[in-house]
Amino acid sequence: MTTVDQDLEPAAPSAVEGERLTAPSGGKPQRRGRRAAGFTPYALITPAIIVLAAIVGWPLVQLIITSFQEFGRAQVFGAPPSWVWFDNYIDVFTDPVFYGVLGRTLLFAGACVAVTMVLSTLIALMLVRLPKGFRMLLTVGMLLAWAMPALTATIVWGWMFDTAYGVINYALVNWFGLAEFDQHQWLINPLSFFMVAGIIVVWGAVPFAAFTLYAGLTQVPGEVLEAAQLDGAGGFARFRLIIFPYLKPIFMIVTMLQVIWDLKVFTQIFALQDIGGIRAQTNTLGVYIYQTSIAGGDFGHGGAIAVITAVLLMAISIYYIRQVLKEEEL
Amino acid sequence: MRKLGIVALGAAAALTLAGCASGDAGGGSDENATIRVWLVGTDTPDTARDYLVKTFEEEHPGSKLVIEEQAWDGLVDRLTTSLSGSDSPDVVEVGNTQASAFTSAGAFLDLTDQYEDLGGDDLLPGFVEAGTYDGKFYAAPLYSGSRLVFYKKDAMEAAGQTVPTTLDEYVATGAALAAANPGKSGIWWPGQDWRNALPFIWENGGEVAVPDGDKWDAQLSSPESIKGLEEVQQAMATASVAPKDANETSPEVGFCDGTTLQLSAPSWVKFSILAPVDAEAPGCPDQEANLGVYALPGKDGGAAQVFAGGSNIGVSAKSAHPDLAVDALKIILSDEFQTIYAEGGLVPAKLSLADKLGTDEVAQAIAAAAGNAKLTPASPRWADVEAARILEDLFVNIAQGGDVKTLAEEADKQIEDILNS
Repeated sequence: MTTVDQDLEPAAPSAVEGERLTAPSGGKPQRRGRRAAGFTPYALITPAIIVLAAIVGWPLVQLIITSFQEFGRAQVFGAPPSWVWFDNYIDVFTDPVFYGVLGRTLLFAGACVAVTMVLSTLIALMLVRLPKGFRMLLTVGMLLAWAMPALTATIVWGWMFDTAYGVINYALVNWFGLAEFDQHQWLINPLSFFMVAGIIVVWGAVPFAAFTLYAGLTQVPGEVLEAAQLDGAGGFARFRLIIFPYLKPIFMIVTMLQVIWDLKVFTQIFALQDIGGIRAQTNTLGVYIYQTSIAGGDFGHGGAIAVITAVLLMAISIYYIRQVLKEEEL
Repeated sequence: MRKLGIVALGAAAALTLAGCASGDAGGGSDENATIRVWLVGTDTPDTARDYLVKTFEEEHPGSKLVIEEQAWDGLVDRLTTSLSGSDSPDVVEVGNTQASAFTSAGAFLDLTDQYEDLGGDDLLPGFVEAGTYDGKFYAAPLYSGSRLVFYKKDAMEAAGQTVPTTLDEYVATGAALAAANPGKSGIWWPGQDWRNALPFIWENGGEVAVPDGDKWDAQLSSPESIKGLEEVQQAMATASVAPKDANETSPEVGFCDGTTLQLSAPSWVKFSILAPVDAEAPGCPDQEANLGVYALPGKDGGAAQVFAGGSNIGVSAKSAHPDLAVDALKIILSDEFQTIYAEGGLVPAKLSLADKLGTDEVAQAIAAAAGNAKLTPASPRWADVEAARILEDLFVNIAQGGDVKTLAEEADKQIEDILNS
């Protein structure tokens, strides 16, 4: 159907097999209007580009320059930096610590995104079904979680998981009789550390994803679902064959955003490391860049790691954006 | 990453610039200026803060002095970003072991001309050295705090123990206290607390790092240091029930709820313990009679070589009102201001004020400890070792019962990487 009538306008779906509903081809004032606009779109986008260039572009250029220099604390206070070109990058790529951090970050982000997406899909589906009162309650609850700053959330969760005075250990010991959780140290084992960090990250990310998916769900036409139900499609089949295809672009965009957010997670890990745990075993890319650059005073190497991370994030983003665009072309 | 950078800087900035300075449009004018003073931690008593603000504003009518309290945690990071920016604070406190990271980078104003006015040779010599770089005087001593051991007299008595006289006895006493009181710490020692481990290294003849030509040679895996680290591990295992990965902030909490029977901490912790119950960080003033204190004993008796913690204070090179900032610094180093420190249990920045410490048990213990205090390696990059949290990670691993020799060798390599880079 796409090959034969390429010159036709995109068709609206019709109940009759093979029929195409197209707009009358005469007139087309909107197309002429678009050509005539010429300069206007650029004029409209210029302020945004100027702002972006100033607050994102310029620091980015600075960062790339720094990554090619030997740039320490003395340079921060005005000493002239010396150029080392690719030395910083070579150091980073030959450092096993970097690969450890990278692998850890990818695994952690992957796990967080998967859990976030599953949970928020389930919550979005539940929101559709819930009676109005409960839906309001859940919405307000999620909004509060979404509005909570990550630093505050991490400190509160950190208290809950505190070794000596935490409510989690208290509940496990006194309510469930699990004596081995007396003085249990949740953050000392890296896996357990990332479980706690994952809970905080997912808890903060679910509301956004759930709201977005819920907004999409309200757009799935009820009659299609009803027809499928009459044809005997169960709940899961309806989700897989109707809802998911309808919402695929939304799923992809939300997933992409989650991937980017979780790959560059900083606050939760940084604050949690202060509460407990071993830094060398729990650094992720964001924290590692901070530690190398700002804490360690080695902005050259930190810059190189940051540029590598940027390239990685851009590669992932471009792949996903292409997928989304393809999806929309169909 | 561009976003990461922003997040990192944003986090630092958000934590840092709690209150942005109200402006000083005319760079040259010192009229109606606002001087921002960064004091770190809660060690500086409120009376001293009030005295500083009041005296400065009396001497400079129309100008204001604002004290912004900073946290010790992540201080090097914050100073790096804020001192280099256009919104730099004017007067900043910095840990004595961190000072050289900034004096060597040119972050502080050269105070060589003011040396005599600030106190001259009366200033604590070790701290003057810490604040001097390349023959120039950048950061004055602020105060020195020595580490003391605090204990509960009733618990010590009930366990049939007496105040230990050697380092080995200290560990044994802690273990005996813990054994007599299951679930309580005979020596409260959270894993990240490396400063209390230094005396064990030094008393056994070890070092953290020693200069070797123009390089540094890390010594944590030397046989002497290993012996000290093993004693630390033993103390952590037999005497402490503190979380093995926690930091050492708020020692008063465990002391007041009764789970800590003994702990080693900076001398001002006494005031945290005895803080009113309704204070923001509540203490337990009813324990005053029960609170015993002594200087950590050394290997062969006498006071141990403890870590000489303390602070230096300098004027930011980017201060918009350097003259006013130096005036504020002079008030801080005045006898009146420093006497308040001494009365609060901190060793004042001037030798001539040492007798203001008083004569009670704490003062005697402070004098004993301060007489034998020692510093971390005097390298401008030592602050980076601290910022990289190498020692925190090392002692968390030791607390968990890891192999001391392997861990110490790893830490040595990391420390040398930083000090020699």
